[in-house]
Amino acid sequence: MSLAKKNSAEEGSVLVRDILRNLQKDFRVEFRSRFAVNIAVSFAGIVTISISLTAGGAPFPVKVQSILLWVVLFFSAMNGLAHIFVREEDQGTSLFLRITRSADSIYISKFIFNQIFMMIIGTVVTPLFVFFVGVDVIHVLHFIMSVIAGGFSIAASTTPLAAMAAKAGGKGSLFTIISFPILLPVLWISISSTAGALNEARPESGTVIFLLAFSGFITAISILLFRFIWLEN
Amino acid sequence: MKHVINIAMKSVYVLMPVTIVMAFLWAPPAELLGDYSRIIYFHVPLAWVSVLAFVVSGILSVIFLLDKKNRFSGLDGKSFNSAAIGLAFTVCTVMTGSIWAKLSWGSFWNWDPRETSIVFILLIYIAYFCLQAALAGKSSRGKIGSSYLIVAMATLPFFVFLIPRIVWSLHPETIINVNRTIYMDDQMWITLLTALISFSVLYVYLFNLMNRIMVLKHRIGEHPHAAD
Repeated sequence: MSLAKKNSAEEGSVLVRDILRNLQKDFRVEFRSRFAVNIAVSFAGIVTISISLTAGGAPFPVKVQSILLWVVLFFSAMNGLAHIFVREEDQGTSLFLRITRSADSIYISKFIFNQIFMMIIGTVVTPLFVFFVGVDVIHVLHFIMSVIAGGFSIAASTTPLAAMAAKAGGKGSLFTIISFPILLPVLWISISSTAGALNEARPESGTVIFLLAFSGFITAISILLFRFIWLEN
Repeated sequence: MKHVINIAMKSVYVLMPVTIVMAFLWAPPAELLGDYSRIIYFHVPLAWVSVLAFVVSGILSVIFLLDKKNRFSGLDGKSFNSAAIGLAFTVCTVMTGSIWAKLSWGSFWNWDPRETSIVFILLIYIAYFCLQAALAGKSSRGKIGSSYLIVAMATLPFFVFLIPRIVWSLHPETIINVNRTIYMDDQMWITLLTALISFSVLYVYLFNLMNRIMVLKHRIGEHPHAAD
């Protein structure tokens, strides 16, 4: 094996090791307090039950059901997605991470953490919403794909923005202000895709492809830019 | 070279009145919309300059982040200025677009995919100015602002090209003729091209002016009594 190949293989294994260590640390810290997950799941539960209670069993049109599902998912996620970076700044651990880990490993681990967080939110909120609001899912596979692709896009788009908001002082409202415009197309397409799964007509797969393409694109750009956001000089 | 650029920029004083005269007096009215169709000579160039300004701000941000030796000064400020001009032009695009929508479709706002896309773009750049305000006084302001502008620029193709194609649109291949297809005669095309050139020169003129003001403000900040 040539020296260059050996070096790149070593760099790769160091990157994977750092990502796993970061993830381990993030999950330990998160599940010690369970702050973000508790807040997000409680918020989702309260809102879903409130919607069902105030509707009093009256059926909503398909479009309204789909809008409400994504409003609940979006605001539940907003409470926790920025937390992963804000916590590092608040607790003063970001400087330590900057010194000991590469920017790439930090970004990838935070990205994976946010994706898992969003999956947990989706897994809890969606069945709860379907049950309480009485959603009649006709195209189950498309519905699941829409929720997964939409959640993936939300987590992918908000991860770099959470880092920016944390650097700006971690003001909660700032994160919502800067991420909402980027997430609007994701929400719009997710709502349209989910509504397609609740209608009798055959849903179009273009919406799911758009969501995956958008998140892939944003992730690629974010990986390239993260070192500029994360490193001071 | 600087002298030539100055003259080119000052041509805006001639080009803009010429465009206005051509749009209102020289170009013929379209068949279906009549004189209302003249708004195309302002709406389309405004939209073009908005996208141009945002792309320039994104490209300047890329150069700013890659310029480790600091060979180009004030690039973050210049990208900020370009984004500011882009935002102002986007507001004008939305205004002229809603007037056109009222004339064509009967209401000022219809949430057509193109209308929706321009609102998304508007919100993204408003958010950029909020971020810049939140980062005031921080050393990381330039880098974070530039990173955001690059992300914003990267999303532009989705809004400008993709969304209007995957979501059903009212936005016609312009409803200016009876058969509802783009048909513009030579005078109309020439007027539109002149308008596009004029508004692009106007953008360059404003951009240069704002950059000069920025440099002057910086100098006054460094030497507050220089004017005494």
